[in-house]
This record gives sequence, C-alpha cells and structure tokens, in this order.
Amino acid sequence: MARVKFLCDVDRCIDCGGCVVACKEGHHIPVGVNRRRVITINQGKPGEKSMSVSCMHCADAPCIAVCPVDAIYQREDGIVLVSKKTCIGCGYCFMACPFGAPQFPSDKVFGARGAMDKCTFCAGGPADTFSEEEKNLYGQNRIAEGKVPLCAGMCATKALMAGDADQVSKIYSERVFKRGSGSNAWGWDKAYNKK
Amino acid sequence: MTNSLNDMRHAKSLIFIGSNAAEAHPISMQHILHAKEVNNAPIIVVDPRFTKLAAKASDFVRIRPGTDAAFMLGLINVIIQNGWQDKEFIETRVAGYEEMAVVAADYTPEAVEEITGIPASETVRIAKILATNRPTSLTWCMGGTQHHIGSSITRTFCILQLVLGNMGKSGGGTNIFRGHDNVQGATDMCVLSHSLPAYYGLSDGSWKHWCRVWDVDYDWMVSRFKEKKWMNAKGFTLSRWYEGVLQEEKIEQYTPLKAVIQWGCGSNSNSQYHRVKRALDMLDLYVIIDPFPTMAAAACESDNVYLLPCSSQYETSGSVTSTSRQIQWRHKIVDPIAGCKDDYEIMAELVKRLGFADKFYKNIKQVPEDITLELGRGSLTIGYNGQTPDRIKKHMANWHTFDIETLQAKGGPCDGEYYGMPWPCWTTEHPGTPILYDISKEVTKGGLPFRNRFGLEKKYDSSGRTENQLAAVGVANPGCEVQGGYPEFKDVVPGTNWKTDLSQKTLKEALRRGMAPFGNARARCVVWTFPDQVPIHREPLHTPRPDLIEKYPTYEDKPNHYRVHTRYKSEQKPDLVKEFPLVLTTGRMVEHMGGGAETRSNKYLSELQPEMYAEVNPMLANNMGIRDGEEIWIESPEGGKIRVKAKLTERVDEKTIFMPYHFGGVLMGRSLAGNYPKGHEPYVIGEAANVCTNYGYDIITQIQATKDGLCKVSKA
Repeated sequence: MARVKFLCDVDRCIDCGGCVVACKEGHHIPVGVNRRRVITINQGKPGEKSMSVSCMHCADAPCIAVCPVDAIYQREDGIVLVSKKTCIGCGYCFMACPFGAPQFPSDKVFGARGAMDKCTFCAGGPADTFSEEEKNLYGQNRIAEGKVPLCAGMCATKALMAGDADQVSKIYSERVFKRGSGSNAWGWDKAYNKK
Repeated sequence: MTNSLNDMRHAKSLIFIGSNAAEAHPISMQHILHAKEVNNAPIIVVDPRFTKLAAKASDFVRIRPGTDAAFMLGLINVIIQNGWQDKEFIETRVAGYEEMAVVAADYTPEAVEEITGIPASETVRIAKILATNRPTSLTWCMGGTQHHIGSSITRTFCILQLVLGNMGKSGGGTNIFRGHDNVQGATDMCVLSHSLPAYYGLSDGSWKHWCRVWDVDYDWMVSRFKEKKWMNAKGFTLSRWYEGVLQEEKIEQYTPLKAVIQWGCGSNSNSQYHRVKRALDMLDLYVIIDPFPTMAAAACESDNVYLLPCSSQYETSGSVTSTSRQIQWRHKIVDPIAGCKDDYEIMAELVKRLGFADKFYKNIKQVPEDITLELGRGSLTIGYNGQTPDRIKKHMANWHTFDIETLQAKGGPCDGEYYGMPWPCWTTEHPGTPILYDISKEVTKGGLPFRNRFGLEKKYDSSGRTENQLAAVGVANPGCEVQGGYPEFKDVVPGTNWKTDLSQKTLKEALRRGMAPFGNARARCVVWTFPDQVPIHREPLHTPRPDLIEKYPTYEDKPNHYRVHTRYKSEQKPDLVKEFPLVLTTGRMVEHMGGGAETRSNKYLSELQPEMYAEVNPMLANNMGIRDGEEIWIESPEGGKIRVKAKLTERVDEKTIFMPYHFGGVLMGRSLAGNYPKGHEPYVIGEAANVCTNYGYDIITQIQATKDGLCKVSKA
C-alpha cells in the first residue's frame, strides 16, 4: 500500500499562508491552534527561504512512541492520527515532536492542556467516517472523499504537495531535473560560489 | 497586460519594477516560477525593498523610490550604446525613436548611479542580461505608477520593451498586474472621471455614441447637467475628491461637493487620510456600500453617514474581466445573507427613486446577462462585443479543454478559442486576442498590429524631423490585404468609424480583409501632448536629494487639474528633508487586501497579521534607540501623525520606512473601535498608513504619490 507524504518545495514556497488559512477555514480550527505554519528563515535578506510545516506523518513517529495512553496511532497509509477521547493532554508528544506539530487549546492560561490537535492529512479521525462526531473533533475527511488535503489543494505555486510518496517524489524529481544546472540547481551557489 | 499570466511561462527573462507579485499576486507566481525553472529565466526585481518576490529572484536591484524612469532610461542608453536594440523592430514598428535616444543618452550609468543609488556596473550588467535573454516580460504595479511622474515612469517601461523588440511576442510584453479580480473590468468600464466606458472620453461624439447604445435621447442627457460644458469637463478624481469638500485648495466647480457615495471603496487607500476624514465630516450625505464597514464608516463622525450592506462576490453573479483581459462569468453560490442586497438590487432601488429607471433599464430586462450584452455592444474600442454571456459561460463550463501554456482550447465546444476571449474580441466568431500587437497571427485568429491613433505623420518639436506614423512596408498580419501600415477604418457605414458603427459592419469588413479595425501603425516614443514629450526623470516632489532639484526639477504648478489647483514647483521645497529626513513608501502584505475592511474582518487572516507596523532598518533603529516591537510616531509634512510598532528588518535600507496600507480603525493615536456598528468591528484595527503619505499627484493622471514621500520618526 502507498504511503502518504507532504513535500514542500522551498524554491517555490512564497510564504503566502494560503495553506494555513485553507486548513483553518476548512476544519474550523480555533484561533491560536495551528495545524500548519509557514516558517521563514533569513527574512528580508538574500537567502530568504520559506517552508510550510505541519505534522510530517513520520514513519517511526516519536509522538506515538512517547504517548502514555496510546492515543496516537498510524494508519496503514502512514497517516498519524490522534484519538481525542483517549488523549489526556499531557504534552509528551509536543516534547517529542521535532516539528512542533502537536497543538493544544490556547484559550486557557499557559500550561493548561486539553486534548491534542494536529494535522490529520485531512483524513478525519477514529470516529465513524463522515459522522458529525468526526467533523466536530477532527474536521473534514477529504481522504475518504478521494480529495487531496486542503493545504496542498490551495497552494498557489504548487510548492506544497501531498499524496502517495512515490508520486510526490516523482513530481519533485521531474521538477529538479527541469531546473537543470545553473542558478536554479539546488546547492549551485554553494558549490561554485556564484549565483 | 499585453500578454497573459500564462504566457509569462514563455519568458526567457523577467523584470519586475514596483511590483511585489509574491505578496500582491501570489497566483501569478506559479507561471513566473515556471519560467524560472523550465527556461532558466533570470528574474530581476527592482525595488526599494527586498520583498518576498526579491527572495525568489536571481537578481535584486535596490532603487531609491521615485527614480525608476532614470534607471529605465539608463538601461535603454546602455542597450543603444552597445547596439543591443532590435533594429528591425524599431525601423518598422516604432516612431520617435531617434528623438527618444537623444534624451536617453544623458542617462549614463554614472548619472543613473547618482540619481538612483544603483551602482553603474549594475545598470550595465542588468542591460546585458535583458539583451541576452529575450524575450523579457516586464511587470510593474503601483510602485511604478504612484509618483508625480508616474505617467513618465510607465512610458519608460514601454519604451524599454520597444527598444528590445519584446512587444507583440509570446514571453514578452508589458504585463501590469491588476490588483483585484475585476480591476481590469472596472478600468475598461472607465469608472473614472475623465471618460465614458471603454475609453471613449468625454467629447460630444462620445456622449452621442453611448446615448445611441443606451437608446436614450442625447438632449435629455444634456438636460441632466447644470450646463452642457460640465459634460465635457473632467471631474474630481478618487485621489483628490475631498478637496472639493474642504475647499482648502482652489477648485474649479460651481459648488463644493455635498454628497458622496463610495461603493466597494476602502477610503483609507487615499493619501493624506487625516484630511479625507475632515472632508467626510463636512459632507451633507455620505453613503458607504460594502459587505463590511470600511474605515470611513468609523472615521466619519458627523450624523451624515449611511451604511448599505451589500452582498459578497459569492452571493451574486455576472461578468468580470481578469488581469489577462479575459472575461469570466461568476456564478452565484448562495443567496445574500439577511439584511444584504446585491449590487444590482441596490442600483435598481437607487435608479427607481431618482426617477429614470425607464431609461436606465431600456435594454436590460434580464440581470446581469443584458448588462454584459449592452456594455459589450457599446465598447467597440476594445472589442468587448464578441464576448456574449453565452460564450463566456461556455468557456467556464469547458475550462478543462484549454491549454495551460497557450490558453487555446484544443477540441471540444470552444475549439481554437482563447480562454475568456481576451479583448479585443471583434466578433462573436472571433477567438479573442491572447497577445496584443502580435503580427505573427491573422487578425481573425487573435493577431494585431499597433493601433493607428495619433494621425498619419508628425513633425517632432525637438528635431524638426517628420515621420510617417504608420508601420513600414512589409509589416502586416498574415492574410492582410495591405502589406504594410494602414490607417484606422472609417466611413464603411458613412458618417461612422470602427468605434462608432453600432451595426459592427466596419469591424466585420476589416476582419474580412484580414485587417485590424484600428489600423496598423507604429508605437510612439514621443507624446506631443504631454509636458515631457519624451519621458525624463524629475525628482520626487518631496525629495531626500535637494541637490538634484536644480538638474531634475518638477513641473510648473497646474491649475484646474481635474478641477483642483495642483502644486508642483511651489511644493518642491529643498529644506523639507531637514525636518523630514526619511523616505516613506507603502505597499501590500499578502494576508490583507486594499483598505482591509474584508480581510481584517476574517479571524484567520487577522490572526496571521494582527498588527499595524512600520519596517525600520536595524541600523537606523539602533542609531535612534528604537527596539524591535517598540511604538514609534511617524509624521508627514502635511501634519499626519500615526503611532505604530517598529518592525526591525533589512527589507528596507537605512534611509527608508515602509508601511502596509491595509490597516484602519485607529486615527492618529485614537481608536475608532466604538464608532463601528455594534458587532461589526473588524477583528483587528490599526493606524492607516495613508495618514502619513504625502502631497503629490501625477501630472497627467493625478494618481497619488504614495511611494516616494518623506517622513520623520520618533519614539512614542
């Protein structure tokens, strides 16, 4: 079975935040909770790069390893999901995650925790597919509808790709091939010390 | 845009000047990055700021605000000195080239460095990139236009493309991105004070033409005006309408303005906004028609303001024209929410009460289809007549049959047509014109020469040379009856021309002969009706370089400029920079839109950009003792003063302050939150940057100079 992945092409990401807003609007995420964010380095200087980051749906997910109540699980297609009814909101997953993906309700003072929320790859959650409960706790289930995640669907420059890892990697390698050598090639400036 | 967003995929190089497409036009970026990746096209970004677009560029050139014309003339000069110009294109399709070259010769790379701050070697290097990577797509936006010499600056962009021979070619062109999905449509309908729809102007002939289209009596139309002369007089502009209320400047009208309706207009996009606010308070009647209360709804503090909530774009339908001149149909998704009416209904109610609904709706039975049909029937100048609602809807329904590279349908019901039938679309069989002035295609298949608009020959004032304004022999679209230049079509139907023949026989006759209805002429570098016949650099009105005023002075003051006395020479004061030492420029951020009424009322966008700020270079901030996130005052020479947070960033240099112009709801340190209708305050409010943008208006168009003013900064 195919394994799903996100890939953000940093040469295309323009830091527009369209992915972030599409995710929030589509799943009715509260303000302060960010299933996805755009990170920018070297802002305002040569070498400025942006990248959209969410849960990476790791193959060997540290969040699953550390969860004391086994609230987090991985589907066969690689999507990592959380059961909000099982989660105790301890925050261990947040400490283990290298990407800061797990999110907690922000309407309380610092330290208060409710059930963890994170990117579902638009695949809903453990509740019955298309049920009201699934929608309320986890948002839309677009994967079950045969659609790509909202964030990747929204991306203006097709920087953010989501889907079968083999397909995503094929599209990306074709892009890299087309970019060829010269100023577009990854690492060219470093290797040859020029633009 | 002469070309389309999609066509930019074919560019071999791209230059952006005064455009931050990554923030203002994110969707365009997929085509721009395609050209970069697939064609290895250099992307050159010329801007006072290192923008998000600059982050995606191969070459970034930092320029002093307001000196774009000097840089362009410098590039043109280097290109000519090295023989890189497209000689054949110039000899056959360009007029006034020699006169222009004489002017450009003054702009040596060293002179350009003195004016713009761009090193001489950079001007030469960029010119070489353009010369060796043709065709180049050139894009400008408000950064190019909002200067007191904006009309000259934009002409230098066009002349550069003529010199390089990049016009009328796939991958080339002048591609000015429009700021909203229907700004091109609004422009084509001339929602302006100096022209009737479709650029017909205000002459008697133009009024008679449109009265025939509307099927109303011309004499009745005349009777609607106080005196006939006002029919032909340019009105106040969006930039300066409030002078007609305040009367602090001399105005040329028999009465001050008493009532104003702003329909879909975020008024905090007006410069000197603190003066606009005073005008709002003085009006007898002020009506705002908008889906969200704009800043003006809160800023107007006298008992004269009415808010009419109108529906959003999702709650109505009709035709819209995109930046690529494509006409699309917008279908209604849901009914307007309670309490809102769509624009058509509001207009109908207004017209009914004004008492001329019978005349207004003579040709309009079915809304909005009949509106599209009527405006198309009259807009012959730009070929809006071929895009009927049926054809537009057919294109929308068969979207998938159009090729992403060429925009042409391959097979299917729209076979051979270009998506959205980009204007001009001369007949209901015409496929649309994807690239303007492209002589490689037949006119019936979307080709065009340059328009013959300015006579057949001209003796230039500067050289005394007389030149034929028509294209040279051999320049013609395939299938054209005349192998060379020809004048515009007239008297096919006696007493009419191609623009006024409502039977459209003239258009059909021209197309039958393989010819363009508007003739086949040369693009001109000399405009003999403008104060600068060939564009030149003039120092910004409020300049940080008073030493350059003597060599590059502004214009003489202009009385009755769109009914307002407008200062140029008397406003260019060399001492101003002593008190106001920093250059102030404004622009967009990707999260917000225009005056921000809509986007600041969206909680997710508000979360991403919740606060007004000013970008300050760390060097400047440290010298002034300002820390990141600290509050500062920014003051303009006109007395505008706002309190904002400092954002320390190297996007700007140490002489420049940048502010986004989308915020509103706070006025000169005072919150207006309580003035919004209860429950309708935007999620975030902030100072309006335009309180601090300076006096200054273009000599031709009167667009406000918001990109090159002066300001002073102090700790709050």
